[in-house]
Amino acid sequence: MFSSSFRKYLFICKTRIIRSFTYRFDVFGNILMQTIVMVTTAFFWKALFQDETFRNGITADNMMTYTIMSSVLSVLFTTGVERRIQESVEKGSIAIDLMRPVNVFGMFFAEDLGNLIALLFQNLLPILLLGSLLIKVPTIVSVSAIPMFAVSVILSMAINWLTAAIFGMWAFTAISMDALFQVKKHLIRLLSGSIIPIWFFPKWLAGILNALPFVYIYQLPLDIYIGSASNEEIQGRMLIQLIWVLILAALFYLFSKKSLKKVLVQGG
Amino acid sequence: MITVRDLHKEYLVSEKGKGLGGTLKSLFRNEKKIIGAVNGLDFHVNKGEIVGFIGPNGSGKSTTIKMMTGILTPTSGEVLIDGRNIARYRKETVRKIGVVFGQRTQLNWDLRLEETFELLRRIYQIEKKDYLDILEVMDSILGIGELLDKPVRQMSLGQRVKGDLTAAMLHSPKVLFLDEPTIGLDAGSKYALRKFIKEINTIRGTTVILTTHDLGDIQELCERLIIINNGVMMDDGNLSEIVERIAPYRTLTVEYYDSIVPTHPKAEILSAADNVVRYKFMKRELTAARLISDLSSLHPIRDVGIEEAGIDDIIRIAYAKTVQS
Repeated sequence: MFSSSFRKYLFICKTRIIRSFTYRFDVFGNILMQTIVMVTTAFFWKALFQDETFRNGITADNMMTYTIMSSVLSVLFTTGVERRIQESVEKGSIAIDLMRPVNVFGMFFAEDLGNLIALLFQNLLPILLLGSLLIKVPTIVSVSAIPMFAVSVILSMAINWLTAAIFGMWAFTAISMDALFQVKKHLIRLLSGSIIPIWFFPKWLAGILNALPFVYIYQLPLDIYIGSASNEEIQGRMLIQLIWVLILAALFYLFSKKSLKKVLVQGG
Repeated sequence: MITVRDLHKEYLVSEKGKGLGGTLKSLFRNEKKIIGAVNGLDFHVNKGEIVGFIGPNGSGKSTTIKMMTGILTPTSGEVLIDGRNIARYRKETVRKIGVVFGQRTQLNWDLRLEETFELLRRIYQIEKKDYLDILEVMDSILGIGELLDKPVRQMSLGQRVKGDLTAAMLHSPKVLFLDEPTIGLDAGSKYALRKFIKEINTIRGTTVILTTHDLGDIQELCERLIIINNGVMMDDGNLSEIVERIAPYRTLTVEYYDSIVPTHPKAEILSAADNVVRYKFMKRELTAARLISDLSSLHPIRDVGIEEAGIDDIIRIAYAKTVQS
């Protein structure tokens, strides 16, 4: 029973992958944009650092690895769930989602996973390749950091998806959420360390940010990757990361039941 | 099969003020207003019935259908499908129903038709053998076989509706809900759709609930009508019984040899032009034969025609009644 129920989400995921590949050409624009941002950011850091070293032993070389890997991670943190909910409420196709015997959030997750798998080939690999060619090969600090990096990235993806889903639920009742989604997107970009690492922020601000979930999306895995923090520090922060996953999962569970009861169906 | 009990649905609508001032004001303070879309519906549908759910635009019928299919959660009251509350047990209960919305599709726009069916087969966990059997049945009724390879975005509306009907039947639902299924279809596709509804009803015993504005649909398909307006039930009964009750009259058109207007004590004259006079009479008071023989004894008749009150009259009268009340 469990396995056949699981299989339906697997098939939703597979259908998404097939669908993603029918729109092959959409991805070029995205790769181009990402590459431009990545290359300019990398050369900005290079110009800024010259040959100097930042206080915790960070070099220009580290910063370039940081930038490439940040671009790579941003592909992994692509979520469609907010747009998906908003569009289906706007067009009224949420009715179709709800008339099927599926957990709608399970379905949204499966769809995002399918998109992500397609993006691994369509975006992640090209960006990694272009970054390696145009900037440098982004090598991890040590082989022993790989498992920690992997675990941390998975937790980051969980935080990222859950935040998106919780935000997306608002769209069940309010029709236009565009502005709010934009605000959230830019907040995450700024406050998560995706462009500017948190160590460059003033102490008090960094302190506040460390209490929020956003830095556990980008900053933590990137710190692990370039080795800019001690093992003990990393372990402590991964614990906080895990706690955020649990908090957000609880909130998600709580809201998801309620939000579906408030669904609005437009038209027809 | 389906029981609807004291069903209510209220929407919270925020009132926007008029003009620039009003818009600015509503940025800070929203006037919220509760609007009742469905206000206490009670009815029961038995297995194997074909029920026409009709009402003017904005009468609450689509909202009701959406609550019956588990899409919207009622504000109060309940919908039981096969004894199960669909709002509480949505995931389990929707297996028993199939839904087709005439105005939107559940087929995936970017995929071939068969790929959507394969997805639905996984979602509803249908055995491969059963799935192929159903497809064969659908092919014999709708000729779906030739469409399987076609991408949905290349389909005509008629083909798309066939695809949607098949999609709704794949898991052999006990109840099929059709929300304005014939909207925008040409005569041929309408005919195919009606034939399909009749066949699945007789062959598979599927209960069918449809909303429609198409009088032909009602006349050809519905044994029972539920008329709703302003979210309340206006009428519920057999089609012929409703006709009998709402419009118990007929019209007789008589063409005379001369321009003359003979009268009859039990018939009302609707119009008289040239040699043609139209009489309206009550079925209970007078037979058509009696009226014709009475009139012909007054004056020689060249030709006659009898019209029943049409279904469109019934609908018009039923809706008009609701506006007054």
